[in-house]
Amino acid sequence: MSLAPSSAPARMPGWLLILPALLFLVAFFVLPLIDNSLRSFEVGGEFSLGRYIQLLTDTFYLGVIVETVVLSTAVTVICALIGYPVAYYLVRHAGRWSGLIVFLLIAPLLTSIIMRTYGWQVLFARRGLVNTLLVQDLGILERPLQLLNTPGIAIAALVHVLVPFMVLSIATVLQGIDQRLEEGAQMLGASRWRTFLEVTLPLSADGIGTGAILVFMIANGSFVTLVLLGGGFQTLPLFIYQQFTTTRDFGMASTMSTILLVIAMTCLYLQLRLVRRAGV
Amino acid sequence: MTGLNRRRFLQTGTAGAGLMLAGSPGLLRAQAGQVLNVTAYGGVWETAVRECFVAPFETKTGARATVSLGAPAQWLAQVEASPQSPPLDVLIMSPDLAIVAAQSGLMQDLTVNRIPNLAKIPQEFTDACLGKGTYLDYGVAGITYNKDMVPNPPRSIAEFVDRVSAGEFVASVPSISYAITPIMLIWTMAEALGGGVDNVDPFFEAMERMRDNLVFWGGPNDFFNHLASGEADLGIYFDGRTWNHYDEGATWIDFINPEEGGALTAVAVQIPNNANPLAFDYMNEMLDAENQARFAEIMNYAVTNVDVVYSEKLQARVTPWQQTAFPPYEAIGAARNEWVDRWNREIGM
Amino acid sequence: MGRFALTAFVIAFFIFMLAPILVVVVVSFTSAGYASFPIPGWSLRWFVRIWEYPPFINAMITSTVVAVLATVLSCLISIPGALYLARARAGWANVVATFLLSPLSMPMIVIGFSSLFFLTAVGIGISMTALVITHTVVCMPYVLRTVIAVYRSVPPPYEEAAAILGANPLRTFIEVTLPLIRPGIAAGSLFSFLTSFDNLPVSFFFASAQTSTLPVVMLSYIENQFDPSIAALSTLQLALALVCLILADRLYGIKKMTVAA
Repeated sequence: MSLAPSSAPARMPGWLLILPALLFLVAFFVLPLIDNSLRSFEVGGEFSLGRYIQLLTDTFYLGVIVETVVLSTAVTVICALIGYPVAYYLVRHAGRWSGLIVFLLIAPLLTSIIMRTYGWQVLFARRGLVNTLLVQDLGILERPLQLLNTPGIAIAALVHVLVPFMVLSIATVLQGIDQRLEEGAQMLGASRWRTFLEVTLPLSADGIGTGAILVFMIANGSFVTLVLLGGGFQTLPLFIYQQFTTTRDFGMASTMSTILLVIAMTCLYLQLRLVRRAGV
Repeated sequence: MTGLNRRRFLQTGTAGAGLMLAGSPGLLRAQAGQVLNVTAYGGVWETAVRECFVAPFETKTGARATVSLGAPAQWLAQVEASPQSPPLDVLIMSPDLAIVAAQSGLMQDLTVNRIPNLAKIPQEFTDACLGKGTYLDYGVAGITYNKDMVPNPPRSIAEFVDRVSAGEFVASVPSISYAITPIMLIWTMAEALGGGVDNVDPFFEAMERMRDNLVFWGGPNDFFNHLASGEADLGIYFDGRTWNHYDEGATWIDFINPEEGGALTAVAVQIPNNANPLAFDYMNEMLDAENQARFAEIMNYAVTNVDVVYSEKLQARVTPWQQTAFPPYEAIGAARNEWVDRWNREIGM
Repeated sequence: MGRFALTAFVIAFFIFMLAPILVVVVVSFTSAGYASFPIPGWSLRWFVRIWEYPPFINAMITSTVVAVLATVLSCLISIPGALYLARARAGWANVVATFLLSPLSMPMIVIGFSSLFFLTAVGIGISMTALVITHTVVCMPYVLRTVIAVYRSVPPPYEEAAAILGANPLRTFIEVTLPLIRPGIAAGSLFSFLTSFDNLPVSFFFASAQTSTLPVVMLSYIENQFDPSIAALSTLQLALALVCLILADRLYGIKKMTVAA
């Protein structure tokens, strides 16, 4: 069972290794989804592409599709910018505190979404802690700011639950980098900053790539945070959720999820090719 | 409804997936026997169901009942997926889902023959479920407000709209992601402002006027948090939940059934086709006056059996259903998707 | 200094991460009958309430069992594939990798709904088996992706050396490959466990009197009341996670366990 195809002695083809995962997903992900997607092609008992045409020719829904991708991309970029320094600190400076930091990092994921939302509301409501501090205690503001139900707070809440995936993905790869490479660069006269840019950052590209893929994909499919915290975003997952709760139009839900899946997989494929290009 | 294509696909798919499944344990509920699977919301609701309905049912029939916790959309989907042997025998439903379930032919007719206590339930409630279900309890969606912030609350929906538009308060109303928003907000407000099922323009005009002073709640607890944290001063909410918050210590909260009548929001009960026949005995217990009276006292909700006598405290809180606006669920169901689409485009999320 | 700026940034980051959580933890110790902040007094009554309400405890056990089984199953089926994909040069490997990660971006409510109809039709129905299968579908991509990332940074010569020294493939895998990819497995398993444990939209469709997970019971619970026991449950989960972490530290040393070791 040689794992590296490049060095595989011809005992057993390496690609057999992907069969368990492949078969499992075909049986329990693809088949149910195909079964479900038949609802999207059926109008009055007959085969029809009506729903797809309806959605893809409506500028309103095209706008929704764009908004979905833009929001996921924005959240991914923010997570990467915030997450990298934290991952770097975790691997290089945290020492014996690294366990605690990992715990603090995943604490939001251990707190039920209902209560997390409550936490945001207590902090940022019109008469919440932050506004009270700014208006009454410090006197910086005349009147309370509208913070809840704004795009800003929705993005913040998404970053809050997704950034742990970014940090841990980067940290996992970062800790495998041989520090002697960095030391070598510095001995050759490179500044710390240049060492980071030209040695550390490229070597950790796969960690950023992994984090970006996870965050982007999850953001693309998530709706609970947006339902509970508002913010005015109109994304496909929200509309899918709406088909389940409010309108019970499963055909439309299926149409939307097929479109969402195609978009997400296209983005992912491009991203994977990009990561490959970047080397590693 | 979902037709032959899906069925045929499932059969061919089964053969392939069957290979993967060899050896996995089969159906959990192969042991039907004398066990009845009933449904409830969690917490106090469940406690009340066990005490008021399950206990007398088990005593009288000698059978056992298990209680599944969850939500109507989940239960209906589970029955839809397995109509030949439904995993549940008695369902708790929202009125709009009850209509959907009845229309898709998944539910059994209820008759006084099999459920004697059904005679004590107003005919309107059974009719509202197309004869394939009835109501267990009900509340009203009206105006809930923070007494500290709103000393002189609006008495009607029209006044509510005017004063919120003028910027006197910030109001929290249900968002379009919440299942019964089309009923408790769109229809109710359209009706109160001179429109109706056929004309919801007055609703959308009112929302446009109130725009700058509105926030939306995604789930009922959100609403309470909006009020408690000062994000909003008042809003559209349910009477029973308001009383629950009051009794838990939030004594700054109060409720008004608007003059035009708030929307009746009921809990429907239904029995799926092919359910265990004991389901009828269980439902008879659910509709029994004595059992319902105890349930009402625990839950702070009005119940449906006409013989029920409330305690003084609850009597003061209960709105007789004749004073509520009885939503035309069927007509709303037909117009709903169009309203939702219009909301998405005009109001956003 | 750069180091100082970095530390300051990390502290600011954790204030952002923990502020909403801290509110929840404080509220769980309230003496009031409803969630309010600041709290009027301290009390443990909501932890007692959890203890006294059997569905919470039962659901917590169910959730833990499902999360562990789904994580183990995810590891078993996706690690071999990850090892192959990490080194594969063929163009179709990207396509396969894309496909294997695709469950991540499908809204889980769609996965849950579709699976309910499909698994019922093939006879698995609403059962523990169905829960574990569907949870594995949504958890598997995490393990796959993190192991790919780590294994790609492992230089192939390590394993080649072992093979040249006469180790059979299985021994090479257990003694050389496995220790090298352990951080990836740890991170993937952690993601997987957390995703499963917190999952509502998939579990929702497979809940019954015997198979209700904690998020489903919580959702059903707050339908009619919003008392601080939900906050207490979150605090309890945090406390349990902390205990597990400390135990792991005592037993194995945190360095070997954490993803950042």
